[in-house]
Amino acid sequence: MWRGLWTLVARAARGPRSPRPCTRQGSGAPAPGSGATVFALSSGQGRCGIAVIRTSGPASGQALRSLTAPRDLPPARKACLRLLSDPRSGEPLDRALVLWFPGPQSFTGEDCAEFHVHGGPAVVSGVLQALGSVPGLRPAEAGEFTRRAFAHGKLSLTEVEGLADLIHAETEAQRRQALRQLDGELSHLCRGWAETLTKALAHVEAYIDFGEDDNLEEGVLDRADSEVRELEVALGAHLRDARRGQRLRSGAHVVVAGPPNAGKSSLVNLLSRKPVSIVSPEPGTTRDVLETPVDLAGFPALLSDTAGLREGVGPVEQEGVRRAQKRLEQADLILAVLDASDLASPSSCNFLDTVVIPAGAGSPNGRSQRLLLVLNKSDLLPAGGPDPSADLPPYLLLSCLTGEGLDGLLEALRKELAALCGDPSTGPPLLTRARHQHHLQGCLDALGHYKQAKDLALAAEALRVARGHLTRITGGGGTEEILDIIFQDFCVGK
Amino acid sequence: MFSFRGCGRWVAASLTKQHHPSSRFSGDSAAPWTPHFDVVVIGGGHAGTEAAAAAARCGSRTLLLTHRVDTIGQMSCNPSFGGIGKGHLMREVDALDGLCSRICDQSGVHYKVLNRRKGPAVWGLRAQIDRKLYKQNMQKEILNTPLLTVQEGAVEDLILTEPEPEHTGKYRVSGVVLVDGSTVYAESVVLTTGTFLRGMIVIGLEMHPAGRLGDQPSIGLAQTLEKLGFVVGRLKTGTPPRIAKESINFSILNKQTPDNPSIPFSFINETVWIKPEDQLPCYLTHTNPQVDEIVLENLHLNCHVKETTKGPRYCPSIESKVLRFPNRLHQVWLEPEGLDSDLIYPQGLSVTLPAELQEKMITCIRGLEKAKMIQPGYGVQYDYLDPRQITPSLETHLVQRLFFAGQINGTTGYEEAAAQGVIAGINASLRVRHKPPFVISRTEGYIGVLIDDLTTLGTNEPYRMFTSRAEFRLSLRPDNADSRLTFRGYKEAGCVSQQRYERAIWMKSSLEEGISVLKSIEFPSSKWKNLIPEASISIGKSLPLRALDVLKYEEVDIELLAKAVPEPLRKYTKCRELAERLKIEASIGIAMAFLLQRFQLLGLTWWRSG
Repeated sequence: MWRGLWTLVARAARGPRSPRPCTRQGSGAPAPGSGATVFALSSGQGRCGIAVIRTSGPASGQALRSLTAPRDLPPARKACLRLLSDPRSGEPLDRALVLWFPGPQSFTGEDCAEFHVHGGPAVVSGVLQALGSVPGLRPAEAGEFTRRAFAHGKLSLTEVEGLADLIHAETEAQRRQALRQLDGELSHLCRGWAETLTKALAHVEAYIDFGEDDNLEEGVLDRADSEVRELEVALGAHLRDARRGQRLRSGAHVVVAGPPNAGKSSLVNLLSRKPVSIVSPEPGTTRDVLETPVDLAGFPALLSDTAGLREGVGPVEQEGVRRAQKRLEQADLILAVLDASDLASPSSCNFLDTVVIPAGAGSPNGRSQRLLLVLNKSDLLPAGGPDPSADLPPYLLLSCLTGEGLDGLLEALRKELAALCGDPSTGPPLLTRARHQHHLQGCLDALGHYKQAKDLALAAEALRVARGHLTRITGGGGTEEILDIIFQDFCVGK
Repeated sequence: MFSFRGCGRWVAASLTKQHHPSSRFSGDSAAPWTPHFDVVVIGGGHAGTEAAAAAARCGSRTLLLTHRVDTIGQMSCNPSFGGIGKGHLMREVDALDGLCSRICDQSGVHYKVLNRRKGPAVWGLRAQIDRKLYKQNMQKEILNTPLLTVQEGAVEDLILTEPEPEHTGKYRVSGVVLVDGSTVYAESVVLTTGTFLRGMIVIGLEMHPAGRLGDQPSIGLAQTLEKLGFVVGRLKTGTPPRIAKESINFSILNKQTPDNPSIPFSFINETVWIKPEDQLPCYLTHTNPQVDEIVLENLHLNCHVKETTKGPRYCPSIESKVLRFPNRLHQVWLEPEGLDSDLIYPQGLSVTLPAELQEKMITCIRGLEKAKMIQPGYGVQYDYLDPRQITPSLETHLVQRLFFAGQINGTTGYEEAAAQGVIAGINASLRVRHKPPFVISRTEGYIGVLIDDLTTLGTNEPYRMFTSRAEFRLSLRPDNADSRLTFRGYKEAGCVSQQRYERAIWMKSSLEEGISVLKSIEFPSSKWKNLIPEASISIGKSLPLRALDVLKYEEVDIELLAKAVPEPLRKYTKCRELAERLKIEASIGIAMAFLLQRFQLLGLTWWRSG
């Protein structure tokens, strides 16, 4: 059992051996995973104007010809109008645009065909059934097109993830980030690091395998050391940015907090443009944490409404207060709401002292928390504004009732969120997944072990661990790559 | 004694107890004298000898067919065994009770462990070997192996029958046809033909067919294999000229002395046959710009270098070194060929220039100014079979019960050949007895790495072992090959002798006992510091330290510990190997942490569906 497991792992360890086509000379074996041709409805389910059906694989041309018989294949990558008919019965199915993408210049790298048919369910299922009847075709499994694209080197692993995100991008900023990742920017960066690391590792390996017998030039290890140092600096800098990409992908946590009856729920409803929370003039209406995903000025956010913070209430509300406080600790951004007309009350003062002021001073655990102070119910204020004796930090005035001040709030939110999530159209590519961050941190830790290693075999192992982490992001990472560098850089052998 | 039609010459398996092949009659077309063996091994090189001996150890009646009995165990290239990665393979061959490590312990003239300072996982056991002694000792071993018969003869063709339906494969091999037309029937056949498949020797512009200098190539067999549908490729390799010892001026060269004490290759040997002071030194010299000049001026006279056949990147000829890395001084090791040999092997000077230019080139090298060339260097081009056509047990996919081992699979090196030979021999024998194949995984040994790389990736240059090929290098150490393989070899393959099995059990239990004793001894660190002042033990906080933790310090070994705490540690200094392995096991913690991390890394779903 143990042995079996190790074998499995060892196979995976050697990098993208099975999913990638063998590029070695004289390879007679076909690329694993190819062979079958798959088809699927690529646009969304349900009634729609146009539905797109795609095929990928060696029989794509045959499929296209069968459905458009007696016409021949259209010119490559040119949209053509064709009558589709069932190859078995000859029954006409639809008049549709068809496209022919001969491999490798296609999305998956294989021969691909696209049928842009009318979106009625009868047409779609008719075409799908017709395709199913063509020999060598089968329905695609979930993600199979992307997987094939990956297998043919059309996409790297981060690009695959970028594509998945693009399909699910709900906000503008997410879409821009997904597009950038799809462009391979993160992948490019990681690949650059992986190359540096592979080179450093190759030099250490060369020193182990050939240092004794062959004349490697001087300073091979020194060069590896300095490459590792540079990499440490680059990774460290990037990791400091790390949470931003993740926030952008899954949404920043924005927590609305304040004393009871300040109008927190009204603000939540206003920002989410729907009645998420029950609003009443009675203090303590919201007793639990209510979450709603919203698009705030183009950024994804998870908006939490919390119970008003006060003491000496019943057990249910107390639990609500406890949850509210916990949520506050996890918040990326706090929207602190106070009743502008009630700033002198004990609950307002208490809130200012315990939440607003400490956040401005930076929290004791070192994590700086962003906070926007909103004074609600500005409609109740006299013309001179809030009581000047309250000695407030910077604030925004808002009336949830009239909507006055909302534009100012949204602009302030946009600035805060842009800082939190990073502006996806500028700056270095962001780490959009916890996975990326985890592996970069793992890589950095392993580089630390490299420097402390007792012997060279252990040092090399640390680099192997580091490289393993990086290649979990980009794919690749077989041992042959190391040997290629060794033989390219050194004259070794007896 | 058996007699054959034609040229076959039988050599007795053992002069005292002879093992006659049983003469079963098979099929109506077979002559009544047609012999029948369980396993027939073709080729008497490093793969062939190991395969034949392993099959016989497993209990199969085995025949070794070779062109010439007197070339069995011939080291046709370098006069050395082992090295980094290769030494690992030898330890594993030995753990399966293979021959080459034991023979090397009886035939070496210069033993040295490479990479001593780089960690026990990458130590490279290596030795210069006396060619004559190696051959003698190997022939003695082979000719005295029970159940093993040796016959001279060249194989021309394979006898094929219908495949067994429960296995894959288009045919099944059931014997071989010799050049003289005689046949031998076999349940399994192992092909270890080395460079003999359509072998061509190249010196300058001259090319002539030969498997090795002075030996005929196998052409018929190559044609048979191709006709069956095997994918054939072509590789090249080379060997340097040989130089007369007395014509070299060693006095001006760097001398390399052997280790003292010598570390044996085999787990069952405490020492090697020869004392360090009686061993021979090696010498180091370098090429110079004049050598580059001769090579570059005469490329037109060198068809071996020009051709497209793939040669190894790591055992390159001097021509390819000069072409790829010009204006450098390349190392040339001058290695003895044996105790009473007059020849020196210039390692690093593999060359295929015309002979007179080789001599000219040699004499521009420092120390070789008056050197006399006895035999020119030459290149060999030969067929190999794409190893993706064989299974991890080394049986071919196409022909059932046909096994390939050694250079025929695209490898280079004695040790790589020996490793495959053992596995092919074991599996040829297991196949006859309808037992499951014996496969070593990548995580269990370099043999597993070697065979897995070959059978899944193939190769387009002669494949050589390096430690960097092993993902789990930290656990595949030369010192623990027995604990990885001997027990499996004994239980699953039956290729391990009782004596070796018991030795491995003793070692295992001694190690376990030693570790627990080392754990049980615990003193404050200040006391340890007093006991072993050599160790850099920090006494800032006087924490309790176990002897096992103290042994982790680089400066500390069992010897030092036993001086500090004679009872109960003294007994662990008695066996050098045990003492060394305890030291390695004590320092293994960090290595295991790394391995675990890699394991977890790989255990992750590395594939996210898009």
